[in-house]
Amino acid sequence: MDLTNDDVEEIVRLLDSSFYDELRLKTANFELRLRRSGSGWTEEKTSLSTPNLLDAPATAAAPAAVKPSEDVEGLTSIRAPMVGTFYRAPKPGAPAFVEVGAEVTEDTVIGIIETMKLMNSASAGASGKIVEILAANGEIVEAGQVLMRLEKSAA
Amino acid sequence: MTAIKLIDVSLRDGNQSIWGATGLNTPQCLQIAPLLNRAGFAAIDFIASTHMGVAVKYYREDPWERIRLMRARTPNTPLQFIGVGFRFISWETLDQEVMRIVYRCLIRNGVSRFIVLEPMHDLEAMMATAKMIREEGGEDIVGALTFTLSEAHDDAFYAHLTREMAASPNFDSVYIKDPSGLLAGDRARTLIPVVQVEQGKLKFELHSHCNIGFAPYTYAIAADLGVKYLHVAHGPLGGGTSLPSAIPTIANLRELGHSVEVDDDAVRKIDDYLTRLAKAEGLPSAGVRDFDARFFHHQVAGGVMTTTKRQLEEVKLGHLMPQVMLEVDRVRAELGYPIMVTPFPQIVCTQAMFNVIGKERYAQVPDQVIRYVLGRFGKPARPVDANVLDKILARPRADEIRKEPPPLSLKELRGKFSAGLSDEEFLLRATMPSDQIDAVYAAGPARRSYNPDARPVVKLLEALIKRADTPQFAVSKPGFSLELRSGATAAE
Amino acid sequence: MTLRRVFIANRGEIAVRIIRTCHKLGLISILGASEADLNSTAAKLADEVVRIGPARSSESYLNIEAVIEAALRAKADAIHPGYGFLSENAKFANAVRSRGLIFTGPTEANLEAVGDKLKARGHAEDAGLPLAPGGSISNPTDARALAAKIGFPLLVKAVGGGGGRGLKRIDAMSQLDATVDLAIAEANAAFGDPRVYLERFVASGRHVEAQIIGDGETVLDVGLRDCSVQRRYQKLIEEAPAPGIPAAVEARIRQAAVAFGRHLGYFGLGTVEFLYDRQSHEFYFLEMNARIQVEHPVTEAISGLDLVEEQLALAEHGKLRLSQSDIRLRGHAIECRLNAEDWTRDFRPSPGTVTRALFPAGPGIRVDTHIENGASIPPFYDSLMAKIIVTGADRAEAVARLLSAMRQIEIEGVATNRDLHIALLTNSDFAAGAVDTAYLAQFLEARAKP
Repeated sequence: MDLTNDDVEEIVRLLDSSFYDELRLKTANFELRLRRSGSGWTEEKTSLSTPNLLDAPATAAAPAAVKPSEDVEGLTSIRAPMVGTFYRAPKPGAPAFVEVGAEVTEDTVIGIIETMKLMNSASAGASGKIVEILAANGEIVEAGQVLMRLEKSAA
Repeated sequence: MTAIKLIDVSLRDGNQSIWGATGLNTPQCLQIAPLLNRAGFAAIDFIASTHMGVAVKYYREDPWERIRLMRARTPNTPLQFIGVGFRFISWETLDQEVMRIVYRCLIRNGVSRFIVLEPMHDLEAMMATAKMIREEGGEDIVGALTFTLSEAHDDAFYAHLTREMAASPNFDSVYIKDPSGLLAGDRARTLIPVVQVEQGKLKFELHSHCNIGFAPYTYAIAADLGVKYLHVAHGPLGGGTSLPSAIPTIANLRELGHSVEVDDDAVRKIDDYLTRLAKAEGLPSAGVRDFDARFFHHQVAGGVMTTTKRQLEEVKLGHLMPQVMLEVDRVRAELGYPIMVTPFPQIVCTQAMFNVIGKERYAQVPDQVIRYVLGRFGKPARPVDANVLDKILARPRADEIRKEPPPLSLKELRGKFSAGLSDEEFLLRATMPSDQIDAVYAAGPARRSYNPDARPVVKLLEALIKRADTPQFAVSKPGFSLELRSGATAAE
Repeated sequence: MTLRRVFIANRGEIAVRIIRTCHKLGLISILGASEADLNSTAAKLADEVVRIGPARSSESYLNIEAVIEAALRAKADAIHPGYGFLSENAKFANAVRSRGLIFTGPTEANLEAVGDKLKARGHAEDAGLPLAPGGSISNPTDARALAAKIGFPLLVKAVGGGGGRGLKRIDAMSQLDATVDLAIAEANAAFGDPRVYLERFVASGRHVEAQIIGDGETVLDVGLRDCSVQRRYQKLIEEAPAPGIPAAVEARIRQAAVAFGRHLGYFGLGTVEFLYDRQSHEFYFLEMNARIQVEHPVTEAISGLDLVEEQLALAEHGKLRLSQSDIRLRGHAIECRLNAEDWTRDFRPSPGTVTRALFPAGPGIRVDTHIENGASIPPFYDSLMAKIIVTGADRAEAVARLLSAMRQIEIEGVATNRDLHIALLTNSDFAAGAVDTAYLAQFLEARAKP
């Protein structure tokens, strides 16, 4: 069974003229809840069917790379502020923002994280020297993942 | 081995036979249109003026719009219209030039195939109609050989008709139309070859109803004899008093070594859709009809028989039914063997009933019988019995009817309505009450989609709302559960 | 060729949209999904799902070979490319067709003619369409001469750009050289094509676009849309018809679009974009989009057409099955794009999992979405969650109904721009209608001020 938008419109029109305030419909494929809300109605839907996946070509699933998240004694971790694709340079072919050994301050941009086609800069967050770069150019990073480590400068 | 092509009649003839022509509206037709187009049918029997009237009256839908929208969705499959005589929607006969506008509009809106049906086989009338349709642009004009059992309607009779149609430039196809499903075995094996001899350039099709269970087997015979076009219906509209059901017909033909050029997946989906629609709308299924020997005798559709019996019982004369049945034979012969297709079963049965219960035969004659003998329905296969004719025409009422004015000319009829109307609107207003037409235009464009699966929910809601006494409701069965709550019981 | 199996090379709400029409027509829908979309709503609705590659677009949705190979493996008859991704890629269309599949879209010649913005301008000029004063530039001297002719402010646009990308504004001659250089560098990086052109900047312009559909010979006009409510050239609210344009001017815009389509021998669904000068009532050709657009539902709402169905019918039969007289427009429809972003924090994208999704429902309300309880919004793609399309007898009714509808939305798990829409719908300028393309930026600026 499948309900189209027209069907839902018709059902809501009927419900609206009735004294009912809620309809719950459940089939093998979906669950639908229509509720009176103010002068209108809301719809809450959940698909219950499972995708019918055709055989994919045999690609061995790459072992999930361990995303660094732990802190290391003596060093400050620079973490990704959000999930996205990490880029080391402002654009392809340009030199990277920072390399190992670079001196940075709190606001130094150390990379770009691209999320849903929008670029967000990631900054060092502390003053010091970059000692380790963990995230590769073009890698998909999770929020909170350690991108680089720096050695804080004294005072 | 014959390569068979199918013509689907579900939406028109199936709908008419099983659902009284009221079973389908525009969105229900449009929803299945893409699949009908994909299936590879030679044509779709889509509409008749009865259905156009139903669209207006019951559904507040513009029938012209239905044709246009259907045509847009079936660009590879011709749409068919069936007309009887010079009538359109209403019972009144129309002037020939008004009929021309009817055909012009049908063609303009997307119909390209036309059945020319004259149950009296008035050849002159058939030729005139076919010529008019051709002039207006009709592409596939099909002449009907309406089958019946009578001494007048022998193989030679049909051969003659076929010969005339083959010689005319205005016919493209001929079909044996068997409304009572009487064509069987031996007769099929003589009649079909005789038509084939005369068919010439015409396509030859068979259209037989399953009223007494013969049609599926007759189709097999026809295929063996090389008939390439067979009419079928789908789902609950196949079988019963309708045309043979598509899926078993296709299976049988293939089993017998013939090929059927259809997209089986589309056929299955069409069948399934109509089945779900019937279930959702509470419409009956055609069912199966068994052999009924009485049919050979009276050839009257079940409905008319039942009505006649009821009318007799109402005046406490039900016991006279057997006599009436015998009288039906006699009246039919005297009236020149009309083929028992609406309105003739009614005409013959009514007269037979009056003849039995009246003072004497033909003491009472209804208006329709008078019109019949005056030739208003065309010229019968045999002349009306001379004595009966004299008796009927001697009646004063016959004089009145004779003096009835001819139908209004196109100019006169147009003059009754405002000048700026489109042909389509004019034809509707000329044949139906204006308030019904106003309602159609007020209702706006028709919906274009229909979902049979949603209907049970909608109808359930409608019923519950009407009852107005059930603040909470729940129903549950495997794969489906529905709950309704109101007010305080609608918990978060 | 009879169409039975359609491969959908896209994702999100448009994949759901295409699948719905396939269901309606009894066509088998096969979804080509990346790793990240294998459990999406579209995947659950499709008849079959095929994995086309890893999450990253370049390895999946933008990977021509992967898409076609998956479609062939799934024994599809046709590919529907949706919008974005490969939908306007002539190489893709060519590859699809040469492998024996139907490409649901324009011809390669059409795609090549309008994919390159400069070429499109050239064709538009040949077709007699009015163009915003401007032209291509190849050196600084030319640029200065042209800029002087056009006048300031003006826009420098990337030839290979589109969808609102690759645009910069120049307010004075002193900024010209530097901005043009920057534009060239960025265009090369972003589109692989360093060419740019200059165009007059219309101070109070509206983005008005015309929907057309053609079969190579006949081109039909399906009315106009107004998409002026934009932020950084990304549309936020669209409506049909375009309000407040004098009837004679509207007719000329629509005729121009049809003329352009005929000039191109255009096949398929297309949108001709114009800049409409509010003050002078003049209009200029901007560009043409040779695909189905995100905002197509507003046109469907006022025409009663199913544009995806028309695309498939056209792809299958090669001929238009509609005529101009079948296109009757009535009512007014407006669409709000609900995005997964935090509009109070500079429109920061908000990917994640939607734990609860409540959408409005009822007469005149249509919601095109891939979001439902439990749906995930991966970070690899755009932020469009849902399109809320509302129809009314007139614009005022549509606005009122849409406002009430947007208020019903409840999304938990990600941030959305719902409240921005509500603010816009209650804004008197929007309610009056016919705002220009500067409207939204000004609105946001005004709100930002304490």
